Amino acid sequence: MCPHTSLKQQFLKKWIMGLQRCSFSKKNMSILERKKTIKLSADIAMASARNGTTRWSRALISNASKDGSDNRLVQQILGPDSNTPAVATTTNKARTRRASVCKKIVKRSHQIRRRRRKCVAAAPVKAVTSSISKHLVRKRTQVLKTLIPGGEFMDEICLIEETLDYITSLRVQVDVMRSVASACFSQS
Amino acid sequence: MDVGEKDKYELEKRNDNGINYQGSGMSSAWQFGGGSLTSTPVSLVPSDNPLVIGSASGSASIVDSFCPNLWEHPANSQNLGFCDINVQNGVSSSNAIGIAKGSPASMRSSIDRPFDMGWNATSSMLPAGILPQNLSQLPADSAFIERAAKFSSYNGGSFSDMVNPFGIPESMAVYNRGVSLMQGPQDVFAISGMKSVSGVEYHKTKLIATEASGDACLQAENRATQESSLKNDRRSESLVRSNEEANQRNGGSCNESNEAESSGGVGGQDESSAMDGTGGEPSAKGVSSKKRKRSIQGAGSQSPVEAAEDGAENQQNGDRNQSTTMNKTTTKHGKQGSQASDPPKEEYIHVRARRGQATNSHSLAERVRREKISERMKFLQDLVPGCSKVTGKAVMLDEIINYVQSLQRQVEFLSMKLATVNPRLDCNIEGLLAKDIIQSRAGPSTLGFSPDLSVGYSPLHLSQPGLVHGGLPVMGNNADFMRRTLGPHLTPVTGGFKEPNQLSNAWEDELHNVVQMNYGTAAPSDSQEALNHQAIRK
Repeated sequence: MCPHTSLKQQFLKKWIMGLQRCSFSKKNMSILERKKTIKLSADIAMASARNGTTRWSRALISNASKDGSDNRLVQQILGPDSNTPAVATTTNKARTRRASVCKKIVKRSHQIRRRRRKCVAAAPVKAVTSSISKHLVRKRTQVLKTLIPGGEFMDEICLIEETLDYITSLRVQVDVMRSVASACFSQS
Repeated sequence: MDVGEKDKYELEKRNDNGINYQGSGMSSAWQFGGGSLTSTPVSLVPSDNPLVIGSASGSASIVDSFCPNLWEHPANSQNLGFCDINVQNGVSSSNAIGIAKGSPASMRSSIDRPFDMGWNATSSMLPAGILPQNLSQLPADSAFIERAAKFSSYNGGSFSDMVNPFGIPESMAVYNRGVSLMQGPQDVFAISGMKSVSGVEYHKTKLIATEASGDACLQAENRATQESSLKNDRRSESLVRSNEEANQRNGGSCNESNEAESSGGVGGQDESSAMDGTGGEPSAKGVSSKKRKRSIQGAGSQSPVEAAEDGAENQQNGDRNQSTTMNKTTTKHGKQGSQASDPPKEEYIHVRARRGQATNSHSLAERVRREKISERMKFLQDLVPGCSKVTGKAVMLDEIINYVQSLQRQVEFLSMKLATVNPRLDCNIEGLLAKDIIQSRAGPSTLGFSPDLSVGYSPLHLSQPGLVHGGLPVMGNNADFMRRTLGPHLTPVTGGFKEPNQLSNAWEDELHNVVQMNYGTAAPSDSQEALNHQAIRK
């Protein structure tokens, strides 16, 4: 993919760096651990390729650095990156926003229930279908929010933008990893 | 006195031409009969219906009932007032409903009196039975009464002016509709013989609510426009105007009537095209100032359509204050119609109207937000495979979710796959990866690797210092390794580099050779030898 070549290269470089920095030399890692490390380094490489311009990348890094076990790994991978202070701030903001978002969600769910009762009670089929479609859309938006890292705190517009970026990044990641894997396994 | 106040409103309407004193007098007279009037509307309703239904020209009968009553009860001050009104209004144009009633009534009085008998019987119940026949159709809300009281303070002016306040509640809208319905058939009668508007009348009396009145209005408007085009009379224009004004309200209150009216408006356009030149129609059209502006701007032919769309699509013009209040009251009725209306524009607006309880800025912001979302969904459509044919948010979101999930699963699977690679090959992997970096850089720039890869390598390094910076620590261990690996095996794989885009293919060839070279435990020693080799070569 020509347009993604630079991104691919960037990702690959960072990934390799991360892999190297990880305790990869330890041969006694279990396979799952290795897989986890590989994936983590790939994700972080992907996220850092964005240089903190997108929310999902920041959220991904912050999430990874939150866990104690992965923290050092992240630090290793990121190295002397200056992202970590930003990570901390986003975490705090995320927490505060989470609380408010929870309340909003609860309120909204009540409203939805009320509205749906009204709709179903009073309206003909077409109003019901619209309410159903709205319900579907909302449900799926919720699911999407769980998929995208850091998506719970985004509004719809941001969510769709982040999804766009996240999809491209995932594509690049998959392509590179697939080519590496195929190269590795073509030998055998 | 609820009905009394209603009567006052009626009277005021009829006094549009300036018979205010009479109106006031009549209102006072009405009040006397107000007490008796309270019961009459109820009683008159059932009586009206059969008469209305039964009569081929029910509206005419109603109108005629006014006149005969007026004529036949001259002693009644009210009737006197009515007579005067009729006389006066019979000649001059009128914008008001009452006037409209009066004028056609006067005409009809000459047309037909066979229904008088029946009507007299019923109207004899009350000398003031004339009005209650209209009022019986009116909802007896307190809100309406307040409006009536408010309107009673209005003097003269056109009906449109009286109806101007935006906060017209639904009841008032209903009243106007009902009254305008009266107009329509009356207009019909005035111009041509009795057309069978019994259906209209039936609707009118049966349903004060939206839907049927929309149909009736549509018919009325059609006929009105027809006749107006035929007659090209000012009075008919005013009637049409008021019809359309009522239609506007109807449009606001009933989306089904919107469609009917728009379609009727389209039909009426052709017929009312003759009216366009008059321009009188737009002038008096403004129920709201915005509507007035629009009607003035738009051609007359557009006005029926605009009227139909006005109530629904006010917000589109940016004046949301009026529309929000109207739409707020009419959304309940509008909801059902909104789903029926296929044009996404109307549905869009009705969705907005539902939340339009907020102020202008809110609805504006929401509209902007929606547009943004739809714009981005379009991008996503291009990105996600298989989404081009899909329309609709829900399905699109579903596809997106599936795609993201599949991509994430692929990453997991691939990472697991890579994890299963023999750790002994880690250095190979890194070497391969590093080589891939070089290859990917060299591919587009230099199609074929010259045997002087080392030479070529350094320019690459230099040209991409950023990469070198990052790459050096990675490839520090492997640079020599790579040079060694690539150098001797370059020629056989040159062909692979002719496909720079197919990195993986080139890769595999190279990697294959490389791995074959380095597979096994002899890697370090080989690398050492290779390094020495390179050094010697240099």
